[in-house]
Amino acid sequence: MLTSLGGVLFDGFAYGMLLFLLSVGLSVTLGMMNFINLAHGSFGMLGGYVTVTLMDRLGWPFLATLPAAFVAAAALSVVLERLLFRHSYRAGELDQVLLTIGVVFMSVASAAYIWGTVQQPVQLPDYFTGSFTFLGVNFAYYRLFLIGTALVVTLLLVAGLEWTRFGAQVRAAVDNQRMARGLGINVNLAFAITFALGSGLAGLGGSLAIAMVGLDPDFAFAYLVYVLIVVSVGGLASIGGSFAAATVLGISDIAGKYYFPALGSFLIYLVMVGVLMWRPAGLFGKR
Amino acid sequence: MADTLLELKGVRAGYGDAVVLDDVSLEVPAGESVAVLGRNGVGKSTLLLTIMGFTELRRGSILWQGEDITYLAPHLRARRGLGWVAQEREIFPSLSVEENLTVTARPGRWSVKAAFELFPRLAERRLARGNQLSGGEQQMLAIARALTTNPRLLLLDEPLEGLAPIIVEELARVIRRMTADEGTTVVLVEQHAEIALGLTEHAVVLERGSIVHRARSRELLANAALLDRYIGLKLPEAAGA
Ligand SMILES: Nc1ncnc2c1ncn2[C@@H]1O[C@H](COP(=O)(O)OP(=O)(O)OP(=O)(O)O)[C@@H](O)[C@H]1O
Ligand SMILES: [Mg+2]
Repeated sequence: MLTSLGGVLFDGFAYGMLLFLLSVGLSVTLGMMNFINLAHGSFGMLGGYVTVTLMDRLGWPFLATLPAAFVAAAALSVVLERLLFRHSYRAGELDQVLLTIGVVFMSVASAAYIWGTVQQPVQLPDYFTGSFTFLGVNFAYYRLFLIGTALVVTLLLVAGLEWTRFGAQVRAAVDNQRMARGLGINVNLAFAITFALGSGLAGLGGSLAIAMVGLDPDFAFAYLVYVLIVVSVGGLASIGGSFAAATVLGISDIAGKYYFPALGSFLIYLVMVGVLMWRPAGLFGKR
Repeated sequence: MADTLLELKGVRAGYGDAVVLDDVSLEVPAGESVAVLGRNGVGKSTLLLTIMGFTELRRGSILWQGEDITYLAPHLRARRGLGWVAQEREIFPSLSVEENLTVTARPGRWSVKAAFELFPRLAERRLARGNQLSGGEQQMLAIARALTTNPRLLLLDEPLEGLAPIIVEELARVIRRMTADEGTTVVLVEQHAEIALGLTEHAVVLERGSIVHRARSRELLANAALLDRYIGLKLPEAAGA
């Protein structure tokens, strides 16, 4: 029982770190621009397909595909932002939801057209396939790598947001967009950069996720739900909040499936409802 | 003959479909500050917002040092030398006092250090968050924040409103120092008309979105009847808002 608890905590934490990478960008852009980008999960899916394609068809090593997934998702997000999204910043929330959900449907259809609806095979490099046992808990190398990557990303994000002038400008724009503009901050540019970074992280998360959760065109919708839970529980524009929420969610989900398989994912919705009743603005939310 | 810093020509502006300002023309010569007086709701804040580019401009034009900035984005206006202190102060609540300054500071006479020397109280509260400040501290920070962008023209929207008399005096001294000693030009919207007229060279009176009177500040201050008529000011005591 104790062994399995350790294993559930470890696997749940690793899973939570995936969810964190997939969602943290949305939390920041939602807090900054009040723009509801439901297509965020699609950037994650794109990252997954970039990795699969580069490995399968071009023979790239897995690790080399990770930055490519980041760049591809970031680049596509900038194109979409310039072409589509920026026109709906002033529109109502419903318009944004409809527009971006349309993008999700298009991304699902495109993925099915290009790659088919089957699960994509992912062959991890050998050095990631093993595991070791310590104190009775099985530590898979790949999950350790996931956790390490997510922790490094978290540190970089926190440092960038807290200690750089650009980060302070982003926080100022989140606090008060008009005043930020009135003092000379190029809020649109700051947003575009943040948006690209956030989408890039989703792409990275997606490419890291596929070895654990698989990849098919449903990815964009399946993970959208998790991403929205992380953002609503963690609060807007809060990296610490997203991190905590993703951890809680990852562990609850794995624990739910392990201890109460009949309930499936039900436990995570209970956790979400509980947290939101306790703190409606999320764990670390400002609004 | 001083250069003209800012010029509004026949400006009509408002919010959405609502027109608030109509046919407003105004010239701000470099080094000669202007007081904007008027009762509540006549459009004083809207005037400053329009200069910064935050309202719908329907007619007229705005020139900055001779260059047409009518359709220039607000952040570019700020970078060209327009500084703005909003009526509600609008301190960034989650940034520290110091970050509120450094986040938009631009090189020039007013470094963050100089701003802290001007307002020692802010220096003491350097690490406090914006949302932990008293009203007076927020106002000091709002002025310091605009100053550290090193503007050529500073738009001040009722900087003395709602503050304890002792802080009003302190801030009035600071504004005098900025205008008289440091050569910063100010457009000062203020309910404390006597103080505002004492700090500026020129004055305009707004009424329902239009300028209904222009004068030298000194002359307007001497004209009790006019002041009473336009803004309900009973000299020598300010009637308050
Ligand atoms: N965001 C807005 N949208 C629509 N109307 C507005 C908005 N802000 C102000 N108004 C209207 O514009 C008019 C002028 O308002 P403004 O704030 O410019 O007046 P003011 O002279 O600054 O008043 P006060 O002395 O109270 O600060 C008012 O009738 C007000 O109701
Ligand atoms: Mg006002």
